[in-house]
Order: sequence, then structure tokens, then C-alpha cells
Amino acid sequence: MFENTLINSILAVIGTVLVCFLISTLLPGIERKYIHARIQQRIGPVVMAPGIMAPIKFMFKENVEISSPVPGLYKSLPIICFIVVLCVLIALTPQAYQFPALASLVAVVGFLKVEEICYVLMGALSKSVMSVRMPFPDQVKGAAHLKTTKSFIEDISAKRSLRMITYGSFPLYMALFAPVTAAGSIFLSDIVAYQQANGPFLFTVSGAIAAIVFFIGYMIILNEYPFSIIKAKSDVIEGPYMEYAAKYRAVVYITRGFFMFVLGAIFSVLFIGVPPTILSWGILVNIAVALIFVFMMGIFSAFSPVFTNRQLLPTILGATLLGILSIVLGLL
Amino acid sequence: MDEKVPRSKIIETEIPMGTVHPAALEPYRVRLFVEDEIVQEAEITIGVNHRGIERIMEGLPVEKANSLTEKICGICSNAHIWNSCRTAEMGLGIEIPERALYIRIIMGELERLHSHFLYLAHGCEVLAHETFSMRVFYLREIVMELLAMIGGNRVQYGCSVLGGVRPRCDLDESKLLRLKEDMDKVEEGLTDFANRFTSDSIVMSRISGIGVLPQKQALKLAVTGPTLRATGVARDLRTTMFEYDNFDFNVVTQPDGDVKSNLLIRALESFESIKIIRQAIVNIPEGKVVNRDWEMFDTGINESYIEVPRGTLYHSYALESGRVRHSIIRTPSMSNIGAMQYACIGDQITDAQLSIVQCDPCFTCSDRTIEIIRR
Repeated sequence: MFENTLINSILAVIGTVLVCFLISTLLPGIERKYIHARIQQRIGPVVMAPGIMAPIKFMFKENVEISSPVPGLYKSLPIICFIVVLCVLIALTPQAYQFPALASLVAVVGFLKVEEICYVLMGALSKSVMSVRMPFPDQVKGAAHLKTTKSFIEDISAKRSLRMITYGSFPLYMALFAPVTAAGSIFLSDIVAYQQANGPFLFTVSGAIAAIVFFIGYMIILNEYPFSIIKAKSDVIEGPYMEYAAKYRAVVYITRGFFMFVLGAIFSVLFIGVPPTILSWGILVNIAVALIFVFMMGIFSAFSPVFTNRQLLPTILGATLLGILSIVLGLL
Repeated sequence: MDEKVPRSKIIETEIPMGTVHPAALEPYRVRLFVEDEIVQEAEITIGVNHRGIERIMEGLPVEKANSLTEKICGICSNAHIWNSCRTAEMGLGIEIPERALYIRIIMGELERLHSHFLYLAHGCEVLAHETFSMRVFYLREIVMELLAMIGGNRVQYGCSVLGGVRPRCDLDESKLLRLKEDMDKVEEGLTDFANRFTSDSIVMSRISGIGVLPQKQALKLAVTGPTLRATGVARDLRTTMFEYDNFDFNVVTQPDGDVKSNLLIRALESFESIKIIRQAIVNIPEGKVVNRDWEMFDTGINESYIEVPRGTLYHSYALESGRVRHSIIRTPSMSNIGAMQYACIGDQITDAQLSIVQCDPCFTCSDRTIEIIRR
């Protein structure tokens, strides 16, 4: 009996992960084709191109030698990111609720922090040809400064990623903890049970404010315009991802789509009380939330320039204050 | 070096960018000396796309040399061939038919429109605002098609020749009608873009007070063109060119010398260009488009300055047995490089490329010398 339950649970988790993964591969294409391209009055790519066709193509490309002081670690980071996102999704499934250490908000936050730290490491370990390594005679006669410490442009990305860890992702974590104030527990099972008994947290004043903050945090953690300062094309180009090619680039693309879906699933669990599982029609809510978030993000990013620190700091401060407000309202 | 930063300041970190960078349309190296992501100094180096056009021009028949000048720039190709022909025409005293002058002005102003639209689109691209960028590119497409209609190509039109313009570039009634209709479309689209752009508070916060070039510094660095006018100096060579004597237009200025002023001035100048083209359509006289009744003789150094989309363009050469001698070409970006270096100072690294782009660089056109480093 126990064995059957265990096998069923494992199968349910695997099934859920597969369904979520397949849906997630369409999200980047939907964003680019149906939002960005429509707003910009152009045809746009095939829906499957950014999330499915491009990764498959990159899987079979010949890899170029990565320029990094620790190439092994640098190459493993996208895979670590993917595993982290996968762990978050597994933690959200109802089958994981019997493991409180995994299915708790602290675990989810911990996994997300690992994801963020990976960006710092990627930036610090990437040494592309786009800056210092470019064979160009800088220190010639007439040059203004001869003895300076030269920095790769990816180093700027690493520093910015570190800043984003310290304060940039604050709104997201404030929003994540807002439902805790209502449910009185950090365990996902309690948060879901509370909402099934009292209605979705989203439909409270505190929940509505926290949802707005969550959306801002969602865009920040996905490094989407206007918050894409760690990979701003105007200076750091691709930033931490600069040196990834072939199969590593494919993993980066796949992880991005998957992460979009999983963040939507986090919202479904914490704000609507519907966890992702193929054993329930509730998974459609997860898919709908993921799509809504992608649509909203696409619209916002299409109409926004990239923020510099001048705009980023006040925005994050404002969102954080809103997050505090939602927590205070939740406690009242 | 300047008032913004004392020369004695100790520079901690250098971030070199380029010569290949997606935010730059052309190959150049920029060394940013930064402290905590704030640019303290900048050093721009060009010279990686030297083609030696002046050297190739030496000894060529003047007609061939004129055609060659068109290859200097893909954006203001017409301006180069126009000014090169103008240089010889002034030296040889060739009288240009009035209809040819009008066609040259139409081509010149269309080129200004497409250059300014490219500038606006590229500026939006560097801001990472793709939607605005796309919208300007759609407008530019109308202008590019008009240039193709008149010149036969989207770039390198080969319109001007000694004595006027090529007969294939003559404008019949149907072409003038299309030109008129498309100017209405461009004006409507540009008005819409300008309204949306200026009312977007996020965009305005990104470009206001960024890349400031004070008027005093602009004059000191001999900056030309819209980049100078964006600092409040009403200096436009078109007001002194005899070709524009019959045209009524305003010299647009902006007060601040920042990215916002530079973007706005290009948009406002585009409206003036539309106004000039409309006047040309209405008043274009009948008659021949090229004067072939002239004689070649040896001349001293002939010089010609004209106002092109980016500023003042200078061509000079002597003629000897119908061949070019001592050719010198000076493009506006040559004098604007100093402004680009200055404009970066005090801004964030993310804004550095924007501050460079705001001066409308065309480095490939400016590459005039090459230093060979022997190792």
C-alpha cells in the first residue's frame, strides 16, 4: 500500500514536471511572437522558435572554448540553475508537502537565492573577448592613463548581480512572505490549506498589494526589461551569459522559460492556493497564471527602456515599501 | 582636460569596450575610466576601418573621384558626392541648372531625414526601447523607398555629377506626387512618435540630464551640426549655402546639450526638412538637370563646406589635367569625437554608449590616418 502510494506520488511529480516543462518551452515564444512583435507591428518569430527550436539547434552546435578561469564551474552553472528551478517546482507540488523541510517558503527562497548567486559567479567567471581581451593597443603613446586596473565588462555584471541579491530582489521576497502573515505558517501545505478554507489570498487588500510587488519582483529576478541591468545591451551586452555557446546556451534558454513557469506556479500556490499537479484540473490555473504573467511582462518590457541605478533604486524602494505595507496589512 | 573632472584624479578601474560592441553601429574602442560605475574619463580611439579613400582619389579623373567619395559613408553618401562635385564646380566655375539644385536639395533633405531617423531609432535601441526604435525604422523605410525611387538605390544613389544631377534622377509629375504624399505620411508618423516619446515619463527620466555637453565646451571642441545646435548655438551652414537661398526654414536649437536635447533636435529638424522638401516640390523649375557645357582646366586647391546631417562636411582638392590632387575630406564626426569623450563623464556606464551615440558618430567616415605598429 505504502509502496503504491509512493510510486503514484513519484509518477505524479514526474508527470507534473514534464507537463510544466513542455508548457514552459512555449512561454518565451509567446512573449516574443504575440506581445513584443504585435506591439512593434512586426511578424516576429515562430512561437516554438525561442523556447524549443533554438535550444534544439544549439544542442547540436559545436561548442567554442570558453574563456574562463574556472571553465568547469562556469559551464556547470546553467545546469545548476536548471536543477534549482526544478527543485522549486517539485517543492510546490502537493506530493512534496509531506517533506516540510522541502515544501516551505524558506526552502523556496533558498533555492531562488542559489539561482541569483549563480549570476554572480557567471559574471565573475566570464572573460569574453568583448573588452580586455580584445587585441587592441590601448596603452600606446598619447593614451591618457597607462597604469590602470582593467576590468572585463562581465565583472560589472557580477557586481550588479551582487547588488541585486542585496537589495534588488527584496520586493520578490517581501511578496513571498506576505501570504505567510495571513496563513501564519511558512509551510506551503498550510498556506494552500488556509486559502482553500478562506479563499485566495490574492483577493484580500494585503494580497492584491503583494501581487503587484510580486510581479515587479518577477520581472527583476527574470532580468527582463526594464530591470535587465545585469545584461543591459548598452554596456555589458549579455552579461553573465556572454560566453555560453552550444549546449550551454541551450540550457540557458530552456531554464529561462522554465523559470517563467515556475515563478507563475509560486504565485498560484501562495496567492491562489492552487498547487501544480497533473492529478487536478488546478494545473490549468497554474498555466493560466504563467501565461498572464508572461503577457503582462511582455507589455511592460516592450514599453520600457532599461533602467539604470537612477531609476532602479527608487523603483525597488517603492516596491519594497509596498511589500512592507502588504505584510503589515496581512498582520492586522 | 575639462571642468567636469580634474586631470589629477586617480583612476581606479578601466573598462575597455569594443572595437566590436552591439550598442555601437561602427567599430571603435572606448576606454571608460570608472569609479563605482560612474565614468570619470573616457578615451575613444578609431582607426580600425581605414580605407584610404583620399589616397585612392589621388590622380583619379575627377568624375571617378567624385563617385568614389560616395563610398565614404553609407548614410550620407549623397552629401559626399554632392560636396565633391561642388568642390570642382566652384573651382571650374560651372553653372548649375536651377532644377538640378532643387533635386540636389530634395536628395539632401531626404538623406537628412533618413539619417536623423536612423539616429532616433539607434538612440531608442541603446535605451533598450525596441518599440520606439521599430516605429522610427518604419518611418525611415518610407524615406529609403523615396531615395530608391529617385536614385535607383537605397544607398549610394549616384545622383550628383559635375554640372548637375544625372538625368535618371530627374523628377517627373508622378514622382513629385508620390514625394508629396509620402511627406504627409512621414510628418504624420513623426508627429505621433514625437508626442508619444516626449510624453513617456520613463523615457524622459532616462535621457534628461544625461550626456550633458555645455555650450562653452561644445564651442571649444569645435563641435558641429545638430550636436552643436543641441547646446543652444544657432549655427547651420545651410543658411550660408547659395542652394538654399530660395528656401524658408528655421535653424532649430535646444538648450541643454544632453541626450534629450539631441534626440529632440533631430526630430524637430526632420520637420524642417519636410518643410524644405515641400517647398522644393511646389517651386521646382522646369528645364535641364545637367550642364555639360563647361571646360576642364587646372585649378589650385578648391574647397567646399556644406551642412550634412551630422554637421559640417569639408572637401578640398586641386585639379591637374582633369585629375584630383591633394584631396582632403573632413567629416563632422572628426570634430565631434571630443564631445563624445566629454559627454560620458559623470554618467553611469550604462549611459556611456548613449552619451556617445547622442553625438551621432560616424567613425568609419572619419578614419583618415592609419598607424602601422611594427612588432
